[in-house]
Amino acid sequence: MTTTVEGRTAPPRKAPSKRPRWLKLPSFALAIPAWAWLFAFFVAPVALVVWFSFGYKPGIFGTHANDVLSFDRYAEALSPTFFTTFQNTLWVGVVGTLICLAISIPFAYWLAFKAPIARRGILLAMVMIPFWTNFLVRTIGWQIILAPSGILSEALQSIGMLNEPLEILYTRTAVLIGVVYNYLPLMILPMFVAFDRVSLPMREASKDLGAGRWSTFMNVTLPLAKPGIVVGILLVYIPLMGDYITATVLGGAKGNMAGQMVANQFQTAQNWALGSAMAVVLVLTILTTVGIAALVAWLAAWPLRANQRLVLGDKS
Amino acid sequence: MNRLTLTDVSLKVWAVIVFVFLFAPIAVIIIYSFNEGRLLVAWDEFGFGSFAAIVTKPAITDAVLVSIQTGFIAALIATALGTMAGVALARRAGKWAPAFLILLVLVTVTPEIVDAVSLLPWMVFLGQDVGLSMFDNGIVRLVVGHSLFATAVVAYIVRSRLVGIDESLEEAAADLYAPPFKRFTQITLPLVMPAVLAGGLLSFTLSLDNTIVSAFVQVSGSTPWPVYVLSAVRTGLRPEIAAVSTIMLLLTLLALGLVAYVLRRAGDSATDIAKTVGGG
Amino acid sequence: MSHEQPIRILASTSATKIMKSELNRRRFLALSGAAASAAALAACSTDSDTGSATQATGGDLESSLSVYSWGDYDDPDLVSEFTDELGPTVTFDAFNSNEELISKLVAARGTSGYDIVVPTGPFIPQMIENGLLSKLNLDLIPNIADMDPDFLGRDWDPNNEYSICKAWGTTGFVYDKTKITRELTNWSDFIDAAQNEASGKTSVLDDPAPLLGIYYWANGIDWNTTDEADLAAAEEFLTTQLAPHISAFDSYPGGAAIPQAQHMLMQSWNGDARIGIMESEDPDRWQWVLGSPDTELWMDNWAIAEGAPNPEAAHAFINYVLTPEASLRELDYIGYHTGGTGIEDTARAEGLEMLDLVFFDEEQISTMHTQAIGDAQQRIVEIWDKTKASAGA
Repeated sequence: MTTTVEGRTAPPRKAPSKRPRWLKLPSFALAIPAWAWLFAFFVAPVALVVWFSFGYKPGIFGTHANDVLSFDRYAEALSPTFFTTFQNTLWVGVVGTLICLAISIPFAYWLAFKAPIARRGILLAMVMIPFWTNFLVRTIGWQIILAPSGILSEALQSIGMLNEPLEILYTRTAVLIGVVYNYLPLMILPMFVAFDRVSLPMREASKDLGAGRWSTFMNVTLPLAKPGIVVGILLVYIPLMGDYITATVLGGAKGNMAGQMVANQFQTAQNWALGSAMAVVLVLTILTTVGIAALVAWLAAWPLRANQRLVLGDKS
Repeated sequence: MNRLTLTDVSLKVWAVIVFVFLFAPIAVIIIYSFNEGRLLVAWDEFGFGSFAAIVTKPAITDAVLVSIQTGFIAALIATALGTMAGVALARRAGKWAPAFLILLVLVTVTPEIVDAVSLLPWMVFLGQDVGLSMFDNGIVRLVVGHSLFATAVVAYIVRSRLVGIDESLEEAAADLYAPPFKRFTQITLPLVMPAVLAGGLLSFTLSLDNTIVSAFVQVSGSTPWPVYVLSAVRTGLRPEIAAVSTIMLLLTLLALGLVAYVLRRAGDSATDIAKTVGGG
Repeated sequence: MSHEQPIRILASTSATKIMKSELNRRRFLALSGAAASAAALAACSTDSDTGSATQATGGDLESSLSVYSWGDYDDPDLVSEFTDELGPTVTFDAFNSNEELISKLVAARGTSGYDIVVPTGPFIPQMIENGLLSKLNLDLIPNIADMDPDFLGRDWDPNNEYSICKAWGTTGFVYDKTKITRELTNWSDFIDAAQNEASGKTSVLDDPAPLLGIYYWANGIDWNTTDEADLAAAEEFLTTQLAPHISAFDSYPGGAAIPQAQHMLMQSWNGDARIGIMESEDPDRWQWVLGSPDTELWMDNWAIAEGAPNPEAAHAFINYVLTPEASLRELDYIGYHTGGTGIEDTARAEGLEMLDLVFFDEEQISTMHTQAIGDAQQRIVEIWDKTKASAGA
């Protein structure tokens, strides 16, 4: 996640030969305000939610009570009906992230290596432009496009590709289109930065050593761009797992996500205990899946690393 | 090298497809903002009625103003806190740093809905039981809610920028007995300025779009724009909403052009800024 | 004068309803007492059993007014005229369910900042018990005289101490005649069509009670049943028999779904169906069916929140919208009967469109039932929750 501005690449940091006097201040002094802020408005409230999750709902108007503690809310949150929703959320999250990845790799590669250099800044800014329109409004734009009597449907019918109105709204496909659209820029941006940092000499060295384009891409460019790709995946996957508005607007009943369930418990059912347990399960799901993915990637990288040494010798 | 290969052509075609995909709904919204019908999604006829209607609906302008106000304050707070934290992480990392990084990562991986449901009872507790009445204020609640993720993001960006820059300038200043505060404002801060600006811009953008946390913590009279749109979605969107979006898009483009211009004069190209943002 | 006919029907059932709500109130007190002792945060205040006295005395109007209501529920032109004539600028916030309204007011404990709130009738007694509403000063609302007495003094607030009817309506469904060629007339037909030709193209209201209503009304079961056997049967039916066919939970299909023909079959409130059909390119394509053999009668009410910062302006606003002229404009905008005296005749004389979706005859009204909020409420919300989860599978 380090950023280096072109032309300003720093020489290797020299080890501090001496400790300047100003370093004698407590080293964390500058981090204290952020620490305090996040503690007061993140750690404390989230701890409260974790505490609620062990309680129960005491009556129609009561939202939570903690005089009897149990794991019952977790059992409830993982009961078959609600478990299905967690499964769906995971499916949309994983498939959505993979689609973003598939779209972004060639696009970011093109932007970093093939697009006219003078226009790269503008093109990159254009990727961000949709972000400056409210995301719900953008999603409504898709609803207009995808509706049975909408633009796409009528266009496809008029050129004869479809015989009847498009039936895509309120399906999983619509959910995926919506989430991929809304999170795509978050994938492209860090990936572009990562590709951009892979210097041309490195790639040319690979070609000089006889590697083909594809081989260079797989063995040099992609591994070197890995940190940026990882950031992109996390930036898409995490918010996507918690989002429910995009999914509901385009997917209707099929867009029922875990985030929606949590929100329902707090806003309609007023069952803060169950809602809290569901929220904790959601965070744990995200952490676990990211952990598993990291492990799998690490294991899968073994042959790649060996391969890389083989192709490039001591050049790397 | 300049020979166009099949790969190059297909990459270019792919890029065009991606841009079409990215701009299709935006184009639709801009076109539909000229819809004279009562409902946004049902095209009636072309006209400027929706733009005129904005003026007569104070709720819309109020919501946009609340969002802009919140965005500015949240971006300021997040940038200030995040910059200091980022500088500390890059320059004075000690034993505390790993724990702090874990906190930042936790803030980043927590989905918005979890922040939302935890902040709501917490704000009520602070406002009602502890008696800190400022937490009954809508703007305060929104600013706090929007600043969390943004603080972490700014800290990452600033840290990565500083890690890539030699420390010698700051050390030289120290050797010349510049007082710490002066060193910070005159040496370190200018060095990280592009990252600070990028972080601020990103914080503002994130705040402007924040719906889930806002929907939970907002109080009467301070409905931000996304929450207004969300409740309008349920009852049927009016073309005014598209009109406001069109205007806001134009304004943000203008603002960004301005920022890019200022930064270019300061020696950074637009690509660098975008890259700095992307580095987070 | 058809608007007078509902009196007898509505009054005949009111006695039992008062008893029912009295029972609920007591049960509710017991429950909320237990809750308050246990809950550390956001506990409901049980010290004020009857709500507080009015805060308005007829003084100068404040400069602003905050209304927390259902989405897009007032004519914006009317509101801006109110501001032009009397001064206060009005801010609207929208909630999506009575539950959401209540949870917000309970959590804020009198500091929500809202002046006017618009709860549905059966929720009002509990809101009063919990000190969420403040008494109206009817001296400041002389235009209540323009209200049809049929719609005043309902069982949830017999003397209109806290609330005045804002609008009432009912639940039915709309279907696409070009896709569903047979005639649908009742809830059983709705279910049958949803399971057959309209499978995957059916939307239902995103509201717990009317969702369970589909099953109860079709099967002749009391909508307000608290019998666990009924609830379990409803849960079984909704999660396994109906959920797989549902494409959306949408409380306002008139907003986009009907004009865009997103579904074939949509459960809908009457006023919303009217807006949707009127906005459709081809209104003849849609058929509205009033729920049958039984259905819902809901009534939303103007009320003032406890701790309202602008009580004078709140009273002035309620008074303003009750005039016959304002009432008619509201009716035209939202498509619901506002309860004003003689409004049906005026509306017909003015030639407003599709009034058969706004006004109902005596026979129809006799099949409409008011919801009661009782012990089963939590269970009902749970079933709704599970139905949504099953439909998403």
